[in-house]
Formats: sequence, C-alpha cells, structure tokens
Amino acid sequence: MEGINTRKRLEADLAELKRMVLRLGKMSEEAVVKAVWALKHQDAKVAQIVLDKDDDIDALTGALDSACMHFTARYQPLGEDLRTVTSVMHMAVDLERIGDYGGNIAKVAIALADTELIKPLIDIPRMVEVLSVMMDRTLFAFDIGDEDAAREIFAKDDELDDLEKQIMRELLILMMEDPKRIEQASQLLNVARTLERAGDHMTNVAERVLYILTGKTVKASEFRRPKER
Amino acid sequence: MERVQISTKKLDLYYGSAHVLKDVTFDIYEKTVTAFIGPSGCGKSSYIRCINRMNDFIPSARVEGEIVIDGQNIYGPNVDVIDLRRNVGMVFQKPNPFPMSVYDNVAYGPRLHGVRGKEELDGIVKRSLMGAALWDEVKDKLSSPGTGLSGGQQQRLCIARAIATEPEILLMDEPTSALDPMSTARIEELIRDLKQSYTVVIVTHNMQQAARISDRTAFFLLGDLVEYDSTPKMFTSPEDKRTEDYITGRFG
Repeated sequence: MEGINTRKRLEADLAELKRMVLRLGKMSEEAVVKAVWALKHQDAKVAQIVLDKDDDIDALTGALDSACMHFTARYQPLGEDLRTVTSVMHMAVDLERIGDYGGNIAKVAIALADTELIKPLIDIPRMVEVLSVMMDRTLFAFDIGDEDAAREIFAKDDELDDLEKQIMRELLILMMEDPKRIEQASQLLNVARTLERAGDHMTNVAERVLYILTGKTVKASEFRRPKER
Repeated sequence: MERVQISTKKLDLYYGSAHVLKDVTFDIYEKTVTAFIGPSGCGKSSYIRCINRMNDFIPSARVEGEIVIDGQNIYGPNVDVIDLRRNVGMVFQKPNPFPMSVYDNVAYGPRLHGVRGKEELDGIVKRSLMGAALWDEVKDKLSSPGTGLSGGQQQRLCIARAIATEPEILLMDEPTSALDPMSTARIEELIRDLKQSYTVVIVTHNMQQAARISDRTAFFLLGDLVEYDSTPKMFTSPEDKRTEDYITGRFG
C-alpha cells in the first residue's frame, strides 16, 4: 500500500539522518579527546591530525544540513518526525562547535609542544573524560530513545563546571607566584573554558533529545545544581 | 478571551444500529478555523452534518446529546431548522453550483429568506462574490451560467452562495480535494480571510492543509474524538499515540 511504503521510506531516511548525527558526534568527541591527549603528551603530530580532520567535520555538518532540508521538503513531517528533523539540525550545530573546540585545543597543544609545562596536566584530562561520558550517554540516548540517559548528563555538566573552577584557582595561584607563567596559564585556562563550553553544548543536545522523545521543552537548569549568586 | 460558538455535549449519532459518533464533547470558538482530520469513516463528516442538521434527511439517523449554538441547543424543541441552515452555511467537496446564472446562484438563499428588492439583492450578490474573492472574475458575466466557470471558480461561487445569507458558521467538507493546486491555494487564502467574519469548520484529508490554515484541529477515529488541541501542538507533539500514529502516516 502506497501509504505504508511512504512510511517505510521515511523511516529509512530518518534512520540515515540519525546515523549521520551519531557519526558527527563521534568525530567531534574524538577531536577534543585527541587534542587534550596531544596537549598532555606535548605531541604536535597528533594535534595536527586533529586540525586536519576539522574539514571532515565541517563537510559532514553541511551534508547533514542538506539531508534535513531534503527530508523536510520530501515528507513534510509531523509529530515526532518533525521534532526529530528540526532537533537534528540544532544538534548538528552544537556537535560541530565541539569539533571546532577540538581544533582550538589542538592549536594550543602545538604552541606548547616544545615548552616546559608549568604543571602536569591532571584536571584538564579529567574534564575531557567527563565530557566524553556526556557525549557517549547523550548520543546513546538519542540513538535508542532513552529519556533517563539524556537527563543524567545535566548533573555531569555541574562536574565540568567544578573542575573548571578548580583549574582556574590553581592556575591563578601559579600566575601570582611567577608572572612568567601567565602566558601559558592563560592558554591552559582557555582550554578549560573551552571544555566547559563543550559541556554546555552537550546539555543543549540532551535538551533536544528530550524534546524529541517527550514533545516538551526541557531546560537543563531543572536538573542541575542551582547557580550560586 | 475567545467566545465559544458551538458547544457539543455528549453527542451520540446512530445510523440505524451503527454507532457513528460516540460521546463527543468539545467547544468550537468564534471566528476561528477548526479542522477535522481522521481516516475515512471516522465520523468527521457525520459530525459536521449534525451542526446544520443535515442528518435529519437520513431516516435512520438518531442523535442524542446536545449541540449548543449561541446558547440554544439546536436539537431542542421549537428549533427553527430553516433559520439554523441560514445561519450555518455549507460547502461540499465537489463544487455544486445550481443550474442557473452566477447571480441567481448567490441570490437564491436570500430570496428564499424573503429578500425581494433588486437593489438589496444586487448589494448582497456583490458583497458575497467579493467575500469569496470571485467578484473581479465574474462581475461582467453575472448572468452567465454558474456551471460554465472553472472548477476553482465554481467552488468560490459555492462559498459566495454560502455566505450570502450572512451565516455565523461555515462548514466545509473537503472543499479543495477536487481542485488543482493553484485553486486550492486560492481557497486556502480565502479561508484565512473568511475567519475574520465567520466561524469556519473544515473537514480535510490533507493534514498539511489542516496545519496551514486551522487554529485548532480535532482528530476523530472510529466515532471517537481522540484529541482536540491547538493546531501547532497537534502537529508537533500530540498527546495521544493514536494521533501521533495517524499524523505520521502509520495508518489511515
């Protein structure tokens, strides 16, 4: 029956959109994880690989955007299909931005590759571990339609914020002890801030996943620690 | 604050032993466009035929419950059904102009209700044809046959005929399903204008049309009113899974 075949085609096309989102998520996660590894291990070669792959992330984002437009034009989707395709377009922007952040961190890694680090990097790698868990869980929630997994990540963003504050306190002390450390400390602060922003982008993605699944607009602040005044 | 124009309370409709509408209760608001969607046989056309009591013409039809229009239950005793049908215009799926001139098509209803003066009739005909966005195309051929117009023009003539008696409510049963896309677009634009003056209820199989032109949408299934809500809500995040399945094409 024509109607049912159209539904099957729509579902196949929607599944392809989802696969593209998952691929984009994985590529962006790999970018930040590798960039921080390169920073910690002062490996300019690995950092350069991250930078080289940024074009691939941009290309996939562009392809996903076109695919969403074509899907909308072809099917005029409604209900959950409509929520999915519009959310995918928003999610692509957030995921691509995280990929860009990987590139920014890679540039810092290259800049510091031949310099003595002012301290061994412990908390920045910890931040990227938390971010990695956030990304894995959110993409998992999107893939299998799990509301609870999506909600879990909001608390993880609080962890990221705490780590960033801790890094800032430590680096401030180091800078005050020796002004020659200011330049490098500022770069490391930027990396921490970048990872914290990446966490914010992932909470946007999680909000979108919950919107797809529930039809209701959810704000991360409902599930997070109240902001200090 | 929106005013309720048509209030349906626990409406049941039977055609013989067939229970066609089951315990339907909801309100339609003044000067809005309300779309009814649902698969064939779900009861949406049967429901609008209750609003102007066209089901009275079906011998086996039986109605229980109430439809209250402007404070009066139209199924109560002493209801003037002729006056009801003057106040509730109807447009059908297949354009059905009468076999008479354009002018006489539009003047038919007012004449039936006692309007005799030529000047008054001329004014009504012009106003109605303008209201139906047809005046410019037919003003120089008012005496030509209504059946000689194109499909889209004929349907606009039927709309002009329906509004000539100055109803408060316009019922439209799939008014564009027999028309080409351009004519459909013109009628949809007209419906958007008509709601400034009339309460419009439209039955449609075209969900994109319902999404384009209606303020609220009611989803019927097997005689039940499953869900009724603002159109944006219905088509982005319906509450009922049956609605979600219907609008996403899983059945119907």
